[in-house]
Amino acid sequence: MHPSGSGAAVEAVDLHKVFGPIHAVDGIDLALRPGRIYGLLGPNGSGKTTLIRLLAGLARPTAGEARVLGTRMPSRPMLARIGYMPQAEALYPELSVAENLGFFARLEGTVSRAAMDRALELVELGERRATPAMHLSGGMRRRLSLACTLVHEPPVLFLDEPTVGVDPALRVQFWSHFRRLAGAGTTILVASHVMDEADRCDELVFVRSGKVIAQGTSAELRSGAGTTDLEAAFLHYAGLDAEGRPLETAP
Amino acid sequence: MSASRILAVARRIAQGFRRDERTLGLVFVVPIVITLLLGWVIRDSEAGDVRIAVVAAEGSPIADALRTAAEDADLAFEVTVDDVADEAEARDRVRDGEAEVAIIVAGLRGGPITVVTEGTDPSGDAARIGALQALMVRAVTTLLPPELGIAVPEFEHETVFLSADADSLDVLAPVFLGYFAYFFVFILTGISFLRERVGGTLERLLATPVTRGEIVLGYGLGFGFFATLQVLVLIGFTLIALEVPAIGPIPAFTIGLGVSSIGSPALLFLLAVLLALGAVNLGIFLSTFARTELQVIQFIPVVIVPQGLLGGIFWPIDRLPDILQPVAQVLPVTYAVDGLREVMLRGADLSSPSVQLDLAVLAGIALFFVALASRTIKREVA
Ligand SMILES: Nc1ncnc2c1ncn2[C@@H]1O[C@H](COP(=O)(O)OP(=O)(O)OP(=O)(O)O)[C@@H](O)[C@H]1O
Ligand SMILES: [Mg+2]
Repeated sequence: MHPSGSGAAVEAVDLHKVFGPIHAVDGIDLALRPGRIYGLLGPNGSGKTTLIRLLAGLARPTAGEARVLGTRMPSRPMLARIGYMPQAEALYPELSVAENLGFFARLEGTVSRAAMDRALELVELGERRATPAMHLSGGMRRRLSLACTLVHEPPVLFLDEPTVGVDPALRVQFWSHFRRLAGAGTTILVASHVMDEADRCDELVFVRSGKVIAQGTSAELRSGAGTTDLEAAFLHYAGLDAEGRPLETAP
Repeated sequence: MSASRILAVARRIAQGFRRDERTLGLVFVVPIVITLLLGWVIRDSEAGDVRIAVVAAEGSPIADALRTAAEDADLAFEVTVDDVADEAEARDRVRDGEAEVAIIVAGLRGGPITVVTEGTDPSGDAARIGALQALMVRAVTTLLPPELGIAVPEFEHETVFLSADADSLDVLAPVFLGYFAYFFVFILTGISFLRERVGGTLERLLATPVTRGEIVLGYGLGFGFFATLQVLVLIGFTLIALEVPAIGPIPAFTIGLGVSSIGSPALLFLLAVLLALGAVNLGIFLSTFARTELQVIQFIPVVIVPQGLLGGIFWPIDRLPDILQPVAQVLPVTYAVDGLREVMLRGADLSSPSVQLDLAVLAGIALFFVALASRTIKREVA
């Protein structure tokens, strides 16, 4: 199904991105298998957004290679098969919910009304189609941004903190939808700071200072760190004590 | 290149416009109001009375002859002639605003005549002195002994284009079409594209398969559509003269300027739209160099005002100082102004080489800025 031999939907090979003195992504290797949900966790400034932008072909790596469905990124035709939800939502404030969604759908090459209706139903904005985006609440804007990302039903999704500001009930619905999409073969990479969401991922990737410090299922990572708490596990792999200070003796 | 994506970009611009009454007002109402004001100021300004203080030696026939000529002449303004005692008083009258012109006749017969005006209204002075000169010619004619049979001839003024009594509005109106379209379109696109850049939507667009060329063309189409409507409204307003009869307390008035155009409105339209398309892409291009909307506004004195001064709107290009002429030759407004005047005032059509050149240059400039504008959109993949 995928031309790359490895069978991975998304791959990073010794990926680097340097901004002046900052090594935002510092030699990351990843292979994300189709139909799975991956959680990308790490402190502020650890390089999550930069990694996602490299994988989604929005930035060119300083060194190394990013591949999606076997195609080396950046690649414009491949963009139609990727859904990217930016960390800060990019919507047109004076356009209505339906107009924003329709605009992104057309650019992605989807004009199906049914697809647009499905996306709006999922984020529960069906009643608000005529509302200008600037009159939506913060969480509603987040939801609209997600709908714009999903509307063309791409096989690969990069979601940068998709549930920030979304209420708990709707957040649960989002995750069950992500699960349905994954069940249908969609590969999903979600950057998040929310630990209970991390538990819903098939696999977790811990990053710190642009490097992957641990990768595996939530259970594996916790038992490897000898703790039942994911947050404590992160600190363990990052070589920090329970207060977040560096340990005298690194593990 | 996908037509549906270009249309999608154009459509989203139109949708944004629809909810923005203020911008719609700016695009459609403001140019009409300004053109209307301009027409009003130019056509209906009162010429004002001219009071002349004459100082002449005792027995000089000049003052009397001038008075007689002033009474007979049918001028646009009322002329009154007053004798004053001496030069100092004549100058005082002008200084204190009691007279517009002082005439100091040195000798009894012949000799220099000094004309003193207040000096802060050069164009008004020029008109008054012109009229005065005509009066003087008549006055002198009355002084010549009739038996000589000589009369100083007066000019009959005729023109090849327009009529001899065409006013400056007839010459300025064609230019306003182009200049407004240029100005508004530039500001609107510049700000709109700046918002895309700083608001993150441009990066979001680049996460879809849209190409940079499609974005730029979509912008051209979207804003070009509004520029087109604007130009249509302005052309209509400039050309029509709809008489509205008096209704009750409202006196009769005229809608439109009724400027006579002997050329094809379609050609006027084409010229103005080409100019506007150049402005769309100039706006996109310059938005790269702005961080805030205020900084887009700061381009007005740099980009818009010099074109107003050098583009031939007020002063013909060939009368500009030598070093400014090459500058004028590269400004798009220059070609639009020339083309619009050729068509509207001289009735030129597509077969005129000058109009052909104007159209070609405007199209070339528009294309050049399309290329330049799409270069300024930074993307890892074309
Ligand atoms: N365009 C840029 N120019 C310069 N530095 C950048 C740029 N983008 C990111 N960086 C730097 O790269 C580092 C990683 O940033 P990144 O946005 O990837 O972090 P993040 O993990 O997404 O953080 P957060 O959790 O706050 O979203 C930071 O130090 C940031 O300052
Ligand atoms: Mg981030």
